[in-house]
Amino acid sequence: MAPPASVGGRSWLPGTLMAAPAVLIAAFVVVGGMATALAQSLGLFPLVGPPSLTVAAYAAQAGDLPVGIGLSLAIAAASTVVACLVGFTAALVIVQGRWCGKLVAALGTLTIPVPHIVGAASVSLLLADSGLLSRLFNTGGSWPELVGGPWWIGVVAEYGWKESAFVALVVTGTLATRAVSYDETATLLGAGRLRRLRHILIPLSLPTLTISATIVFVYSLGSYEVAWLLGRVYPEPLPVMALRLFNAATLTARPEAAAVAIVTTILSFGAVATALTYLNRSPLWR
Amino acid sequence: MALTLPPDSRTPLSWPVQPGNGLRASHGIARTLRILLAMALALWFALPLVPLALWAFADRWSFPAVLPQAWGWDGVRTALAQGAVPAFGHSLLLGLLVSAVATPLGVLAARALAYHRVPYAPVVNVLLFAPLALPAFVAALGLNVLLLRLQVPPFAGVVLLLSVYALPYTSYTMRVAYGAHDLAIEEEARLLGASPWQVTWRVQLPLLAPALARAAFLAFLVGWSDYVITVLVGGGTIVTVPVLVASAAAGTGNDATVALLSAAALLPPLVLLLGLGLFGRRPTGGRP
Repeated sequence: MAPPASVGGRSWLPGTLMAAPAVLIAAFVVVGGMATALAQSLGLFPLVGPPSLTVAAYAAQAGDLPVGIGLSLAIAAASTVVACLVGFTAALVIVQGRWCGKLVAALGTLTIPVPHIVGAASVSLLLADSGLLSRLFNTGGSWPELVGGPWWIGVVAEYGWKESAFVALVVTGTLATRAVSYDETATLLGAGRLRRLRHILIPLSLPTLTISATIVFVYSLGSYEVAWLLGRVYPEPLPVMALRLFNAATLTARPEAAAVAIVTTILSFGAVATALTYLNRSPLWR
Repeated sequence: MALTLPPDSRTPLSWPVQPGNGLRASHGIARTLRILLAMALALWFALPLVPLALWAFADRWSFPAVLPQAWGWDGVRTALAQGAVPAFGHSLLLGLLVSAVATPLGVLAARALAYHRVPYAPVVNVLLFAPLALPAFVAALGLNVLLLRLQVPPFAGVVLLLSVYALPYTSYTMRVAYGAHDLAIEEEARLLGASPWQVTWRVQLPLLAPALARAAFLAFLVGWSDYVITVLVGGGTIVTVPVLVASAAAGTGNDATVALLSAAALLPPLVLLLGLGLFGRRPTGGRP
């Protein structure tokens, strides 16, 4: 929307003053947080002793970092795929309306305000060796190691569960406002269910789906508590590794924690940049 | 990022007002498949919360039993003994303070970007959305030392960081709302002799009330659900409900306490969500 001349006039002052508080605290936390983390990782912000520029912290974790990067990316990718597949399907069911659509929308909406740590605790009560599912299926001692196991199923299940509701509601917002009329027109012109899905519903929701997939990916890449509670001791995803080092008794571990944090930040911003590049090339984006 | 929330004000955070259309209705086998799919999805969303309900009031539930063997209030007693009430107060205070900081700042920034000339507007946009891309533990871990040296009280530091993590949601929700807001109504009120304050309180505020409620709710959720910023910046001194849930869940044998604390953590947001569903709906139900 073009700024109407009657409100702000041509002056920069009102706009600057109104945006300033939000911009200042965001800059302090985002730029300041990254700068201090970077400075700590390079030895410029030591807890004791004089500052000196060094990459020792990165070198100290050089063995564990590749494993952590691979694990974090794999968990984030798996969670994103599950969340997008389930979330998109749920959005299609919700947009169709009727009572079953309303039921799915209501239950998905109830999932939104669940804190991730609560989600992780409930997934543990559901999937662990002595969890509800293990009791229901009465497998004796042969229940697979879903929580704390080698495949990180519990972690991916928690992210997939919580974030599928997020994807479902965001995509529903797009489909309900943009796709319903096209969908009805195509139906009148004789398009079947699959052709409407392929030529209308998927293309129209693809930009929104890309954005929400990026948000889910970045979130599950940089989130701590779920992987800490439902994961295993080794190998560690990057956030778990960073917080273990941060809380370690030795003072030299602090720069190493910051180094892991910087690596996570680079991966996260890289994922966002990739998604934005893709979106800018997509013809359906705006 | 501290939490993922659907910020779009068109998103049905409330019960959806989506009329079914006979045109695209399914019949026969397709209809049966659709109902089965919907049931599967309903189960997917609801199932992880079922153990909470069962465990919360289970005094004894030894392993192979499918249902609890003895019901009671042991979980409540342990939760209270672990400090559930003060933790509840801390969480509530954190959520309300984050909402009180992030909502007005998001409103101001959104109005500036919508109606005024803002220098370096693209940079401002990037900064407001940047918390979505920066993992919360990185900001907390980096700023921890700085906040200590500046002698910022831990609670204030936590509120500051969480408010920034709530800004993308409040500012975006209000951007969408201002995009649909008709300035001509405000101008007409001015023309009819209303003072700027009257325009703000009697015209702008009522028109934007649903979006404001939604923005405030999303900001509250960011404060209410946070774990990692509270622990890192708070330095272990601020015990909120998520912190209690985490420490109980990390131990073994206190499943009832974990379930009860978790269920308690769900109540305030759900009550607010229901309130939002009643209050946050647009007065006229029709879609364009």
